[in-house]
Amino acid sequence: MSPNSPKMNGIGVQVENSRICVVMVGLPARGKSYIAQKAQRYLKWLSIPARTFNVGNYRRNDSPHPSADFFDTNNAEGERKRRAAAQAAVDDMLRWFNAGGVVGILDATNSTKERRKWVLDLLTKEGVEVIFVESKCDDEELIMANIRDVKTTSPDYKGQDPERAALDFRDRIRNYEKVYKTINADGDEDDLTYLKIMNVGKQVIINRIRDYLQSRIVYYLMNLHIRPRSVWLSRHGESLLNLEGRIGGDAGLSYRGEEYAQKLPELVLESVGSDRPLTVWTSTLKRTINTARHLPKHYNQLQWKALDELDAGVCDGMTYQEISDLYPEDFQARDEDKYNYRYRGGESYRDVVIRLEPIIMELERSEDILIISHQAVIRCIYAYFMQKTQEESPWVPVPLHTLMKLTPRAYGTEIQTYKANIKAVSTWRGKGSTAKHEDPVPDGGV
Amino acid sequence: MDTLLTAEIAANAPRYRRKSSTFIDGIHDVSEDQNNMAPAQLYSTMSGRLFHSGRIAIVMVGLPARGKTHICVSMARYLQWLGVKTRIFHLGDYRRATVGPGGQVPQDYFYPNASPASVMLRQKILKKCREDIYAWLNHENGQVAIYDAVNPTASGRRALAKEFAKHDVQTLFLESYVDDDEILKENARNVKISSPDFYGMEPDEAAERYLKRIQTKIPVFETMQEEELNYVKMINAGQGFFYNNVSFNYLSHRIVFYLTNLHIKSRTTFFVRAGPATEEDSYKADAPLSEEGRMFADLMTETIIRHREAERQAAIARSGQDVPLRPLNVWTSTRLRTIQTGEPLAKLGYKVRQRSQMSQINPGVCEKLSERAIRALYPEEVEKHELDPYHHRYPRAESYHDLAVRLEPIILELEREQNDLLIIAHESVLRVLYSYLMHCSTRDIPKLKFPRDEIIEIIPAAYQNEAKRLHIPGLDPKTIPSSPEDIRILVPGSPPGKFSPIPGPISPGPGDLVEFIVTRPPEKVINKSKEAVADKVADED
Repeated sequence: MSPNSPKMNGIGVQVENSRICVVMVGLPARGKSYIAQKAQRYLKWLSIPARTFNVGNYRRNDSPHPSADFFDTNNAEGERKRRAAAQAAVDDMLRWFNAGGVVGILDATNSTKERRKWVLDLLTKEGVEVIFVESKCDDEELIMANIRDVKTTSPDYKGQDPERAALDFRDRIRNYEKVYKTINADGDEDDLTYLKIMNVGKQVIINRIRDYLQSRIVYYLMNLHIRPRSVWLSRHGESLLNLEGRIGGDAGLSYRGEEYAQKLPELVLESVGSDRPLTVWTSTLKRTINTARHLPKHYNQLQWKALDELDAGVCDGMTYQEISDLYPEDFQARDEDKYNYRYRGGESYRDVVIRLEPIIMELERSEDILIISHQAVIRCIYAYFMQKTQEESPWVPVPLHTLMKLTPRAYGTEIQTYKANIKAVSTWRGKGSTAKHEDPVPDGGV
Repeated sequence: MDTLLTAEIAANAPRYRRKSSTFIDGIHDVSEDQNNMAPAQLYSTMSGRLFHSGRIAIVMVGLPARGKTHICVSMARYLQWLGVKTRIFHLGDYRRATVGPGGQVPQDYFYPNASPASVMLRQKILKKCREDIYAWLNHENGQVAIYDAVNPTASGRRALAKEFAKHDVQTLFLESYVDDDEILKENARNVKISSPDFYGMEPDEAAERYLKRIQTKIPVFETMQEEELNYVKMINAGQGFFYNNVSFNYLSHRIVFYLTNLHIKSRTTFFVRAGPATEEDSYKADAPLSEEGRMFADLMTETIIRHREAERQAAIARSGQDVPLRPLNVWTSTRLRTIQTGEPLAKLGYKVRQRSQMSQINPGVCEKLSERAIRALYPEEVEKHELDPYHHRYPRAESYHDLAVRLEPIILELEREQNDLLIIAHESVLRVLYSYLMHCSTRDIPKLKFPRDEIIEIIPAAYQNEAKRLHIPGLDPKTIPSSPEDIRILVPGSPPGKFSPIPGPISPGPGDLVEFIVTRPPEKVINKSKEAVADKVADED
C-alpha cells in the first residue's frame, strides 16, 4: 500500500482486525471524561477510528437532572437505570465496531469488580479486546479543581445554582466511594489488561499489554496529566517572503512582523492574566525566533526542529503562481488531496503530523507552553486540539498577527483569540481557487 | 576475525568498550560520522541530541539472570534506530579487563562487609566505567548511556543518581524484577548453561545450581522503592510495569512504550523473499505466483521445516532430553505473491498473518521503467538518488527512510512476538527489518541483497544478534537474483549481482547449473559469540 493511501495513517499505526475497548475506571472528578476525550482526539488525529461512549449521556436521556440519591447503591431504581444505561452504551459501541470502529472508549465509573467483570465478559464474547484505564487520585485540591470544572461544564447541572451543584456533586462522589474498589485491590484481577494512573501520573502501573495498539494507547495516556492548563499558539510575524507571496524560505521579519513581535509580550500578558512565565517553543527558523525575542527574559525558550515549516521541496521560495506555472499537475494534485500531497523533494501534511509526535507528547506532559511556529505546523497542532478531520485541517485559516489560547476541558477544547490589530498580508488560499493568496471568508475560521 | 578476538581488542583499548566484528550486529558501534542519520530518525539537530531530553543515564538494576543485558541491547537498538546516540556500558567488560584473562573477583566482592581490598577493586572498576560514561556524554555528543550492572542496594543507587546529577546527567533506573520461578529457570538455562561449570548437568539442575550461586555471591539485593528517584520496574519480563515518575521526560516515556512491547525470551526470526510472480515488474498489478513461484514456496517450506527439525535434534543431542519445537508463526504482506508463498505453511497448520504495513517500497513514477528510461526521464533525480539512496525519493515514490518510519509498528510487534517468526516480504522490506535487527548503517541498507535461494535466520545471543543463511536447494537460477520489480537504479558502489547481506560464499551465478543440483547443507556463517561470553556465568556486576 502506498503511504498516501487513505487507509494508512500518520504514525504508520495501522490496526488490523483488532478492536479495542478502553474501559475507564475511577471515582467522579478524577478526570476520566477528560482522559477519554483526549484519547479519542489523539487516535483520530492518527486516523484511527475512535469514539467515546459516555454512559452518563445515556442515563441522562432517562433522568436529565438526577439528585445525589439517584447514585446511592441502595436506590434500586437508580441502580437499574444506570445498568440499563451502561447496556445501551455497550450495545451502541458494538454496532459502531461492526461499522468499522477500532477503538471504543466506555466512559463510566466502573468502580466495582462486578461491573468490570460484566463489561469484560460482554465485550470479550464479541471478540473485543478490553483495556481498563483507571485514574486514581487522593489529592483533595485537585479533586476540587476538577469538581469546579465539571460543575461548570457538565450537562447535569445546566442552569442550576453553582454552590448547590458543587455540594450535590460531593455527595454523589460519596455514594461511589462506598463501593469503589481500585483495580486488582484484592489481587484477583491480575489477568486484566490495565493501566492505573495514580496521582496524575506520579506512579503508574501497567499490566499485561497484549498488542501494539494497546501499548500505543498506554504510551499516550502516560504522557497526559489532568491538571487544567492552556496552550498558546501563534504564527511568526509577517516575514519578508510573506510580503512577496512566497512560501517557505528562511527570511527575517517585515517591518509589520517586527511590530507584532514587539506587541506579542503585551498580548500574552493580557491572555495569561498574570506574570507567571510561559515556556516558549519556536522552530529553528529566523522568523519564529525573531518573533519570540521580545518576550520577557524569565520565559524559557526552546527551539525545535520538529516545529519547522512544512518543507515545500523544489517549490520552496516560490509563489503559488510560479508553482502552478511550473508544476500545473502538482498544483492540482495538491488541491485534490492536500493532506496527503507531498511536494517534490518535500513534505506532506501527513509527514508533518508524523514528525510532530514528540511535540504532542511533550505538550501533553507540560503546562503553560507558547508555541510560535508556521502555518502548516500550527494547522496540524490546531487539528489535534480541535479534532479537525484530514480534509479540513490543511485548509484552516490561521491568520498572521493573532494569538490563540486553547484550553482543553472535559467536554471539548475552548478557544480564545487575541488580535494584535497589526496589518499583514493574507497567506491563505481557498481550495480550487486561483493561485493567489486571498482573504478567507469573514469569521470563516480561527 | 571472530568475536572472541574483538572482545579482547576492546578490553585492551584505552576505553574498554565492546566493539562488534563484521559477523555480528553493530549494536555496540556508534557511527563517528555526525552527519549520518539513523534509519528512522525524523530530523537532526545541531547539538546531535534529540527531543530536548538532555543527557540521560539509564541505570539497570537487577540480579543476574533477569535479562538485563538483553534489555540493554534491545533498548539501545531501538533508541539508535530513532537517532538517539546511545551506548551501552557493561560493567562486566570493565571487570574482565581489570582482573585480566582468567582472573576472578574475590569471593566477598559483593558482600556488604567486604574486605578493604575487595572494596578497592570494586571502586577501581566502577571508576573506570563511570569515567568512560562521562567521556561519552560530555565529549562525544552521546545522549544516552546505558549502564549495565546489578546495582543491588538503595544507598548505592541514591549515591549514583547524585553523582550523575552533579555532572548534569539525569538518571532513569530500570529494574528487571522477576519473582516467577519459571522465567528465572528459563533465563538461567538460556544464558548460563553453555558454561563449562555446568557441563553434562541436567539443564534444570544446572539452572537451580546457578541461581543458588547468585544468591550466595550477592546476598543483599533491595528491589527499588526509592520515592525520590525516577524508576521503571519491569515485572516478570514485561508482564507488568510499575513506574515512579519524579521528572520523566519524553525519552523516558518513549522507553517505557518500547519496553511494554519487549519480552526476554529467546526466539528466532527468519526472513525470506516471496516467490516470483507472473507479472514481476508491476507494482500495481499485484500478480499471483507463477509456476516457478509455486515451486519456490514448496521448496522454501521444506527447507525451513527441515532446518528447524535439525536444530531441534541438535538441541536434544546436546542436552540429552527431549526439547519441544518452538511454534513458528508466519507474517506476509497483503500482496498476493507473499500470501501465496506462505500458503504451503498455512496448509500445514502454521499460523499466517497478513500485515499491510509490510508492503514493498512504493516505486512511484519508476514503476515498470528500465534503468535507462529512468536515467533519460529523470536525470536530476538519478543524481540525487546516487548521493543519498537511503533518503532520496523519486517523484511519487517512497524512500527507504519513509519505509523505515512506516514499519515502526512491525518492529514493535517483532519485539513482542514470542514464537519463532518467518517473515515473507519484498526485498525492500527485508532490508529495513534486517538492518533494524543487525544495526546496519543507512549507507548500506539500500545495498543489502537477499537472493531468493536463501533464508536468513537471526538468533539473539547474549550481547548481540547473529545471522545465519540457509540455502534453499533446487531453484531455477533465473529466479534467484534481486527483485526486478525494485526501482531499477543501481546504487553506486554496489556491484551488480546478488550478495547476501552477510558475508559468505556467494551463490553460484546462472551459469553454474551443476552446483545447483547439489543440495547444500544449511550453512553456518556466523561465529557464535557464546564462546566469547562463556564467562558470562561469572557476570555478577
